Amino acid sequence: MGFRSYLLKRLFYAVVVLFVILTFNYVLFRIMPGDPEKMILDPNFTPEAKMELRRQYGLDDPPLTQYLNYMKSLLTFDLGMSFSTRRLVWSELRERLPNTIVLFMVTFVGTAALGISLGVSSAANRGKFSEQLVMGAGLFAHAVPSFFIQLLLLLLFGYYWPILPIHGTISAPPPDGAWAQFLDRAWHLILPAGSNIVIGFGSWALYTRNTMLEALGQDYIVTARAKGLPRREILYHHSLRSVLPPIVTLIFMSLPGAVSGAVITESIFSWHGVGRYLLDATLQMDYPAAQGAFYLIALAVIISNLLADIAYGLVDPRIRVGAGAKR
Amino acid sequence: MTQNQRTAEKAQVAKAAAAAAPRRLTFWEQYRRKPQGVAGLLIVALYIAVAVFAPVVSKYDPMEDMYLADNIAVPIWLTKVNPRYRELPPTMQFNLGFDSWEVTAADGVEVTGWEFEDAEGISIDLPATEAPEPVEGEDGADTPPDSEDSGELFSIVSNVQWDPFGLVTSGQGTSRDEADEAVSLDFSFDYDYKKPQTFSASMGYHIDAPSDASTFIELDLVTPSGKAFDLWDTTAYGSVSNGSFIVDARDFDLKMRLGISFFDEPADVVFSERGTYTVRVKARSDSVSGPVNVRIEPVSFGVLGLAHGLLGTDHMGSDLWAQLVYGTRIALAIGLSAAFIAVFIGTSVGLIAGYLGGIVDEVLMGVVDVLLSIPTMPVLIVLGALFGKSVMNVVILLALFSWMGIARIVRSQTLSLKERTFVEAAKAAGGSSNYIMVSHILPNTMPLIFANLVLRIPSAILTEASLSFLGLGDPRVPTWGRMLQNARQFGAFTKMAWWWMLPPGIALTGLAVAFVFIGNSVNEILNPRYRERS
Repeated sequence: MGFRSYLLKRLFYAVVVLFVILTFNYVLFRIMPGDPEKMILDPNFTPEAKMELRRQYGLDDPPLTQYLNYMKSLLTFDLGMSFSTRRLVWSELRERLPNTIVLFMVTFVGTAALGISLGVSSAANRGKFSEQLVMGAGLFAHAVPSFFIQLLLLLLFGYYWPILPIHGTISAPPPDGAWAQFLDRAWHLILPAGSNIVIGFGSWALYTRNTMLEALGQDYIVTARAKGLPRREILYHHSLRSVLPPIVTLIFMSLPGAVSGAVITESIFSWHGVGRYLLDATLQMDYPAAQGAFYLIALAVIISNLLADIAYGLVDPRIRVGAGAKR
Repeated sequence: MTQNQRTAEKAQVAKAAAAAAPRRLTFWEQYRRKPQGVAGLLIVALYIAVAVFAPVVSKYDPMEDMYLADNIAVPIWLTKVNPRYRELPPTMQFNLGFDSWEVTAADGVEVTGWEFEDAEGISIDLPATEAPEPVEGEDGADTPPDSEDSGELFSIVSNVQWDPFGLVTSGQGTSRDEADEAVSLDFSFDYDYKKPQTFSASMGYHIDAPSDASTFIELDLVTPSGKAFDLWDTTAYGSVSNGSFIVDARDFDLKMRLGISFFDEPADVVFSERGTYTVRVKARSDSVSGPVNVRIEPVSFGVLGLAHGLLGTDHMGSDLWAQLVYGTRIALAIGLSAAFIAVFIGTSVGLIAGYLGGIVDEVLMGVVDVLLSIPTMPVLIVLGALFGKSVMNVVILLALFSWMGIARIVRSQTLSLKERTFVEAAKAAGGSSNYIMVSHILPNTMPLIFANLVLRIPSAILTEASLSFLGLGDPRVPTWGRMLQNARQFGAFTKMAWWWMLPPGIALTGLAVAFVFIGNSVNEILNPRYRERS
């Protein structure tokens, strides 16, 4: 199986997943409690007006037509109007998307940088402090509820020692000037992104350490050592190279989890983002809004999974050159 | 050599070999040597004990018992440690029966006990008054009798009259002429704390009297310096059965009757002193045609504390320690059942996919791939909101979205097992697929399954806690996630009530860590190959 057919297969999978999610989304919000009619229509309307509205919204069409229409509208990001704000869902989402992406990217880069470097250094220095730190942080990441850590940080830096902003993405009257606004946003980012990094770096570090240790035990490393290569060179050129594919996979595999975390983080820190929008919309039974947010999140996850597969194919020579492509 | 001799010889050789090789340690012997595993087991045992003996560990019910103290009360021990919370009052709730009172009675008045539910009530026999005197006892500041005419229909008249300027007040500081009370019941208690936020009193009473009699009952609170606050009084005409009243410091009525300005709180004014306070019930009657019997049910008087129990109270005055203790039950129940269901599904799918292979494998693993790439939390949020918030639904949802990893592991194990000779032999002997899967392959995947089951539990517990924390948990059960959500939503931050947030979080962490310890130890013993992973 060459790279191309590998890619095609992954693409096919992504399309299937997208289809499943869209259908799920369609069915789900049709069986949700509450009649869509009652949400849009005023009970005082005349029967004729009701009929007309039903026709306009396509509620009289057969289910299959409704389904196809729905698919078409989702693909064109026509997500309908929010019940609660009476604004287009897509414009609301578009407004929040940058915030979510910024929070996500900062978290992601921070977590990966800290986690991978700590993992490598702990694999290189076995039995030293850094290894214990990594082991502890790995356990911590596995066993401590993330929202609890965030609540504690919020209590600590927002109330006991109020030095950091505790909610929102920007100060209420935004400061003047682009530079000042940028700083203000960064200032608001510290607590949400920082708490995510604190929670997340442990599992990264542990994973990197374990794969590194496995690689360091391989024969070619022994050979390299026997050749008298410097330790650093062995570490960074030989073993790190070979653990890159699994780490790259991990990077992208962690995306769905990161999305889950984003919902909680955004709701704790009142971050003006997509995750909190989904939660609020769901709790308020604002179905079009919830559906739209869910669609957007699922789409992001699918795309990132596809990217993971492509990246994996690129960094793993076995797939790139089309040798034993067994996953 | 006979057959017998040969087997005997064989047995001997085997025995010698066994003696020479070091004896294989049993699972438990290996487990005992893992400090982490033992610690995890002990912690889990502690949690289980707490869950089982929850009613013993906590004397309050986490949901039913409300208003045990004021909202967000501080833990009692904190008042001894932290100067900021020093001298905050605990909850004082008195149920005053006959024995509690110190009775001062005029001549001819007889005070006895009468049977009432749990504590003894007070029965007061007031003699008939001799001559028609002018209407007695209505102090100048009280409502004039003629304004009560409309109330006669109901026999009980509340003579509340608000003095908007707070200049002339009925009770505040005016010491009445005690001599004209026929009977006075006193109960004293020491109050040596900061001011409470609220207090309350309630009482039921019955009066048997001739129809032309008027009976006056009053409830006072006397401060250490002797100021008497008239919390409640009534003048009843004729007989009254099942009269009752409730006074609450939060009622606006009380503010009016005590003549307190808009911006003051009755509790602040009344409990401004420290020392011995006295609850006083007074009664007298004006009855020409016969004696009057007044029966008073046990009086309840309480000050809602600002300090309570081990962990204080939440926003409804419910005991946080009780919520923490009972939360153990829910956490264990949800974690165990969700993990069991997930492992069951995962094992079945993995076995079938791995053993049957082909198109079945493709399809099942396709499903696994699809489910793995769906973001779990958003789906759980949406589904949780859709299917209603109950523990059962949460368990099922958690299980449905967490079996995929186990399916993959079991499948790969099955793939390697099905090539082994013993499976070939079973096939050759004519064993059916079902039989081989259940009796030959499943037992060999058990160690893996078991370790994964244990490691599944903490993530189920943590996911449920996150859902509860987001407001999607069952509102009828006390879970740790809900405690944290309440803490966030109802003002634990502004009051810096760390005692509300730390315990549930630590309880969650402790339980999760314990299960991770156990799972890792089991993995190290049973699945040494997987030691470096997960």
